[in-house]
Amino acid sequence: MIFLTVGTQFPFDRLVKAVDDAFNDGLINEEVFAQIGETSYRPRNFESVASVGKKLFDKYVKESSSIISHAGMGTITMALDNHKPLLAMPRLKKHGEVVNNHQVAIAKKFEELGHILVAYQEKDLPEKVKKLKGFVPRPRENQAKAVAARISEFLYKISTSEQRLCCRNIDKAFIKSKNG
Amino acid sequence: MSSQELIAKRKKNLRICLVASAGGHISQLLRLAESWKGYDSFYVTTTQVVGEKLQQHGRVYVVGECNRQHPIRVVKVLLRCIRTVCREGPDVVISTGAAAGCIVCFLGKIVGAKVIWIDSITNVERISLSGRMVRYMADLFLVQWAELAEQYKNVEYVGAVI
Repeated sequence: MIFLTVGTQFPFDRLVKAVDDAFNDGLINEEVFAQIGETSYRPRNFESVASVGKKLFDKYVKESSSIISHAGMGTITMALDNHKPLLAMPRLKKHGEVVNNHQVAIAKKFEELGHILVAYQEKDLPEKVKKLKGFVPRPRENQAKAVAARISEFLYKISTSEQRLCCRNIDKAFIKSKNG
Repeated sequence: MSSQELIAKRKKNLRICLVASAGGHISQLLRLAESWKGYDSFYVTTTQVVGEKLQQHGRVYVVGECNRQHPIRVVKVLLRCIRTVCREGPDVVISTGAAAGCIVCFLGKIVGAKVIWIDSITNVERISLSGRMVRYMADLFLVQWAELAEQYKNVEYVGAVI
């Protein structure tokens, strides 16, 4: 099953229609389930709902063979965490799909790194959909530990800084307890 | 008191304010939760739904959503942030953004807190607007793309949280 999801904030007719057309043209030969939010276009070839709860969303992600979505960070993260092939289409400001074009920059970056496939326009979608099945996303190394360590180190330095009067009191108690 | 107890006590004595808007900002912040384990920490976020989820991690203050398009809402959020910062008196503010994070960082700085800013991973080509404002007073400013660290002064790149 391919899970098509566009988030809930703004409609994204271009993507839903492009996937529907690709299905019609026989480019997708498996079931599609779509979460389309406020999109007014109704796909003719597969089932769609406006929104799904968090639990159900996770279930669809886990059970899908691949995902097609807008280039939102939430979906990209979800796909990477679950090692699912993702084809993303960035929302564009000029179509009123988003408040700025930040999705284009994100899509470009993650595409360059081999994590996702990107269709920048509707006309790119058919070709990319064909690639989706065989696409193996490059796993993303989690650097959160390194960032957390940097913050830890910084916090520890603050907690031991001499300016912190309360700490000095603790330290006095410590020295006192050591000296008996 | 052993030296380990001393470290634990020092940590408990440092009050950390963790502030992030609902959505991507808070989920990026939570990926770093390990770093403030043992410290006296509390959360500030923008929606009730996220606030309720955070309650399992500690004290939570919900200040409401705001952005540049709604100046009146900004004032409301600002007042709630002032109340929170005055009540808690944080020693450190850690934020991933956005507008509310920026406000609390400023307020924190006024009451003498150290400021740690982690700019969101969605800012690829340049630092976020909130980030650019906080940059001048942040004590530690982290970005999630190496190129950004080259582009700006006093900005550090350690890695991305996603």
